[in-house]
Amino acid sequence: MEILQDILIIILAGYMTMDEDGIVLLTYFPVIVGLATGLIMGDLHTAMVVAGTFQLMMLGVAALGGASVPNYGLATIVGAFVAIRTGTGLKTAIAVGIPVGLLAIQLEVLRRIIANFVAHKMQSLNEEKKWKQMLRWGYAGPVLCFVETALPTAIVVLVGPAAIKMILKFIPTWITDGLTVAGGLLPVVGIAMLLHYMPVKKFLPFLVAGFVLAAFIKIPIIGIALLGLAAAYWYFNSEIDKNKYSKNQAVAKNDTTGEDYDE
Amino acid sequence: MMNKNVENKSSYHVTKKDLTWASLRFNWICVNLFNYESQLGPSLVWSMAPLLRKIYPKDSDYQASLKNHFNYFNTTPYLANIVLGTTVAMEEKDGIKALPTVQSFKTSIMGPLAGIGDTIFWVLWPTIMGSIAGYMALQGNPLGAIIWFLVNILFNVMKVWLYHVGYSSGTRLIDTLGDKINTFTEAASVMGVTVIGALVATVVKVSVPYVFKFGKVSMNIQTDILDKIMPALLPALFTFFIYKLLDNKKWTPTKIIFLVILIALGGTFLGIFKA
Repeated sequence: MEILQDILIIILAGYMTMDEDGIVLLTYFPVIVGLATGLIMGDLHTAMVVAGTFQLMMLGVAALGGASVPNYGLATIVGAFVAIRTGTGLKTAIAVGIPVGLLAIQLEVLRRIIANFVAHKMQSLNEEKKWKQMLRWGYAGPVLCFVETALPTAIVVLVGPAAIKMILKFIPTWITDGLTVAGGLLPVVGIAMLLHYMPVKKFLPFLVAGFVLAAFIKIPIIGIALLGLAAAYWYFNSEIDKNKYSKNQAVAKNDTTGEDYDE
Repeated sequence: MMNKNVENKSSYHVTKKDLTWASLRFNWICVNLFNYESQLGPSLVWSMAPLLRKIYPKDSDYQASLKNHFNYFNTTPYLANIVLGTTVAMEEKDGIKALPTVQSFKTSIMGPLAGIGDTIFWVLWPTIMGSIAGYMALQGNPLGAIIWFLVNILFNVMKVWLYHVGYSSGTRLIDTLGDKINTFTEAASVMGVTVIGALVATVVKVSVPYVFKFGKVSMNIQTDILDKIMPALLPALFTFFIYKLLDNKKWTPTKIIFLVILIALGGTFLGIFKA
């Protein structure tokens, strides 16, 4: 049973990157990866708590234009796996998950550098008109993706959660506690990146409104999202009306000049 | 002249099945072949090759078309399908004579499309859905995750549909929707910014339960001082600090993540923060 779980977890980790950089059904969002991990490990509750924690951490940390960001999906799989297998809970998941997720940044960069050679190989095969071979080389992409995350996961799974438990025992509590604190702080990076990406200066009143509704009035996030939706609806309609109005005016002006010419 | 034209033009008529298959191939390979030099170029080639082979029976034409698609290309994958569908239509109609147009169309459209697509599909959607599903998950509730998964399936249906739309209406679509799509992105940003405001207050967790003692008087910095000024004061200040730090090009997001971890570790070691 445990061996089957081990194998499925490694496959899940490998597939996750293929999915994340491909069809995006299951993954790169910690909660969905966590759901799959929970089903495999037979402990949905722990897996979801771990996944929720990493999900909030990665809010806004989007891999725009192919940028590399910490792999919170992998952190979720590895973290939830170790937490459930050892029965040590969220703290262990964070202490193991964050370092693995950070390490995965380097692996992604490495994979994309290797993919450069694959691209050149495919191009030269096109020059040689060896198209069947060219298409076969295309599969190197998904294979590299699979290896990128399956490999570190396999190491964690094979070295064994017991070993990780031992290592954690020797680590002073201020480090595990500190990493848990970091878990609460890290969402700030994603949110700050979002603020840079969004037209915050233009829509500053809405930022303040969202903050006040949450901090002072304590409305849950779904409620605030709905209010945001209402504001967006209003904004869209008033802007479209404005455009129509200015277009109509332009047309009206043209009409009068036309009449002037007629007379 | 006439003869040459006939030769260049393809006699093959692209079917709906062809488009769906090419679209599924692209959805599947997508960023899997991403590289730093030509980015999505090889993925375009890999996904379109079987269809292009049908359009170009002549080897040299086929080769030239593939060579063209190996060029640098990058945009939001969710919307790339419109572009690809359109290029298929162009190449079916004019053959290799269309290649310069195909290339300039691709380079001119990928930027604006990425602007819209990144905002909606990479930033707003995962942020709003992520905060809702994330909070549900913290209580062990997988419902948000399940809904998200179902929506992802719908997104894939949408991507296939966009390929067909791109093929049938081509450039016209992007031109006519132009204004409205920009307004739509802006309206979505209004919702996004509101949610981000709420996230600053709820998702960033930092508190300083450090207790000062002056003789008999003891003061908890968090509950007696900071919370009296304003709830979620530290998260707001901290967010502003990181926001400003990001202005500095030297501070990449990865470096800042390490900085935050160091601050957390240091603060915990000194007893300022508590887990």
